[in-house]
Amino acid sequence: MTIRLAGATYRYAGARSNALDGVDLELAPGSVIGVVGANEAGKSTLCLVASGLAPVVVAGSLGGSVTIDGRKTITMRPHELAQRCGILLQNPEAQLSGTAVTVFEELAFGPRNLGLPLGSVVERVEASLETLAIAHLAARDPARLSGGQAQLVALAAILALRPAYLILDEPTSQLDPQGTRLVGDALRRLAAENRTGILVVEHKTNLLDRLTDSVVLIDEGRVVREGPAAEVLGDPALAALGVEPPPRARIRAAIAAAGLDGTGVTDALLLELAS
Amino acid sequence: MIGIAIDGVAYTYPTGVRALDGVDLAVRPGETLAIIGQNGSGKSTLVRQLNGLLRPGQGRVLLDGAEVGRRHVAELARLVGLAFQDPDRQIFSGSARAEVAFGPRNLGLHGAELDRRVAEALEVVGLAGSADVNPYDLGYSRRKLLAIASVLAMRTPVVVLDEPTTGQDQRGFGRVRAIVATLAAEGRTVIAISHDMRFVAETFGRVVVMRAGRIVLDGTPADVFAEQSWGVLASTYLEPTLAARVGARLGVGSTPTEASLVAALTARM
Amino acid sequence: MPPDDASVSSITDPGSGTAHVPAYVLRVPTGPYRSLNPLTRFVIAIASAAVAFGVRGWTGPLAVLALTAALALYAGVARSLRRFVLATIPIVVSILFINAFLYPGATDVLARIGPFAATGTGVTVALQATLRVVAFALSVALFSLTTATDDFLADLENRGAGRRLTFIIGSAIGTVPAMATRVTEIVEAQRARGLDTEGSVRRRIRGIVPLAGPMVFGALSEVEERTVALEARGFSAPARRTVMRVLPDDGAQRALRWLLGLGSLVAVAASITGRFPLP
Repeated sequence: MTIRLAGATYRYAGARSNALDGVDLELAPGSVIGVVGANEAGKSTLCLVASGLAPVVVAGSLGGSVTIDGRKTITMRPHELAQRCGILLQNPEAQLSGTAVTVFEELAFGPRNLGLPLGSVVERVEASLETLAIAHLAARDPARLSGGQAQLVALAAILALRPAYLILDEPTSQLDPQGTRLVGDALRRLAAENRTGILVVEHKTNLLDRLTDSVVLIDEGRVVREGPAAEVLGDPALAALGVEPPPRARIRAAIAAAGLDGTGVTDALLLELAS
Repeated sequence: MIGIAIDGVAYTYPTGVRALDGVDLAVRPGETLAIIGQNGSGKSTLVRQLNGLLRPGQGRVLLDGAEVGRRHVAELARLVGLAFQDPDRQIFSGSARAEVAFGPRNLGLHGAELDRRVAEALEVVGLAGSADVNPYDLGYSRRKLLAIASVLAMRTPVVVLDEPTTGQDQRGFGRVRAIVATLAAEGRTVIAISHDMRFVAETFGRVVVMRAGRIVLDGTPADVFAEQSWGVLASTYLEPTLAARVGARLGVGSTPTEASLVAALTARM
Repeated sequence: MPPDDASVSSITDPGSGTAHVPAYVLRVPTGPYRSLNPLTRFVIAIASAAVAFGVRGWTGPLAVLALTAALALYAGVARSLRRFVLATIPIVVSILFINAFLYPGATDVLARIGPFAATGTGVTVALQATLRVVAFALSVALFSLTTATDDFLADLENRGAGRRLTFIIGSAIGTVPAMATRVTEIVEAQRARGLDTEGSVRRRIRGIVPLAGPMVFGALSEVEERTVALEARGFSAPARRTVMRVLPDDGAQRALRWLLGLGSLVAVAASITGRFPLP
């Protein structure tokens, strides 16, 4: 039971070239995979393809195979995809329904669409509010939230669906350090306790450093590096491929370059201070 | 080269939220200043006092020694350029070129001189090849760079950037840093709001920490990320850079950036 | 921590027993007239509009005006209704003028202004026409002043209207304030880049002109993303959407709706076939 991409290629309708050009990826329950890469390398497309929304909702042609729990995404209907795989896109405000009077109703939108019993709907909304510490926003008008608040509400709305897999495209872009940490902790808990499989695109490599088991680096629609987080994020070629290495890796590299090994800046120290 | 004086400024939004609670800040001409703090601490409210989009409820703002007063926003726009946090609240033209040209045209430029100014600004942010593209066909991070370009084109003595590195990849990040450095070299006063502590530590000469509408810390990056300031930072959920934490642990003084950490360790050897 | 004023109410859903939905979500309307089910208020508005325009003569429009005014006072929206009346004045004046002076074929002249003659027939027709317009406007106004869009749509959906229809209506109505906000934001951005929109009226107008393009582009690109986001939240799931808000209804109101519906149909039919007994 995983999300599996095998040789996945994707071309948007009307586009001249592939946005994804042969990707193999497997997302297992309880694992957290980070995705890094330069902008326009194909990270967002990867999110849409892995969740099945491309090509089921976003027009385009899919090559290779993408399956969720053994079923090919192209054979699934949008609501079947939504129940298995929650996806958060880049622009928080575009993901709010625009018709909910309060944040509570915004979070209830998804579960209600699935026809869940009301008690279950309420329970999920309250749990999501709690997880992201936004209960104080429950009665607010979703149209009048700040960018950061809207981003937390949009994420909470996806969590309320309780999907087995979460695919998140830059979920902390509008958040301050506290908000970022909160989301990181919540995701870690979901993976550990609920066995949610999480794919998360981020520029904040220090967050991925703490959060993920493995990282893939996308360049021009292909996976060019993959492996344990520490290994990929410590790769000296990262910067050349358009990705900012996390502070741990940068400091280690700077120390080594200045010939300062042995001055006490050990990997253990860096690991301790970075978390 | 102009300086800024913010004198006891307080501001309450019509909704009743008291966003600024008595802020005093003097910015020297040509200084590079970063404002950090939680969402809701008053950072964006403060910078909007500089170009008149918001007017102080109490206190006053002086640009180059003259009070901002009731001068129109359009007039202040010649002195203070502001790139909004959300580029989609700022961009309104059908092409990148038209977007960048809007500001300088309002300042009276036209013809070849206008074209030159626009081309330069697009070049600096790396959008020269996308001049005729519709901004909404550019990704979010490039729209952000476009918003910055449209402010740069106005060549104002004061440039304010609200969260310029959000959503940027490594190349975009580098461009933003280079832009700040260039503006500083030209003697312009640069103010940026940011959540990125490393960007702040490495790019700015002065850092101001805001909490609940007030300034609670003000100094160089070395001052603000020094161990004795960590309590104040923690009180507003901010963390010092990893380099600062390593330096403090190894007892080599305040090392907010990787470069300063390396320098301090080298000096100790 | 939930907001301090969130008193929790229980509602019973046949499928699941009791669930604790906060009061600020249930938003059960209270107060005179507002406590009627939205569909009842809607039928009153439609029936009034039908009678105002469909019944020839004075009785129809006058009755509707009287009823609407009485209900407005009862509901406490009389003052707001006055603003609607004022808004209809330009239309009213033009109708009066056109009909009074230019009614074709009338010969009972009352007064002359230059080459134009005001006829008795014309004036009568004019007054009736303006009464109809005002009566219609006020009955629509009464409905919109006393009914929250979301209440009406939630009730319609509970009665079986498809989720797509109610969503489209709801987001269309929501678009207006959203566009207004966006206009304000863009004008602010323009001012911050030197466009002087403060001061004279001419300057203010200058700010609005370059807006059409960006408004559309921004809106369109958001529509695309929003469609994907909606599907990602199960919007097209086949299940019946869970009922969360219930707007109270009762037998008396159902009977009233039938009565009003049939009554207005009969009145209009009688008027059309010339059998309406009153002037």
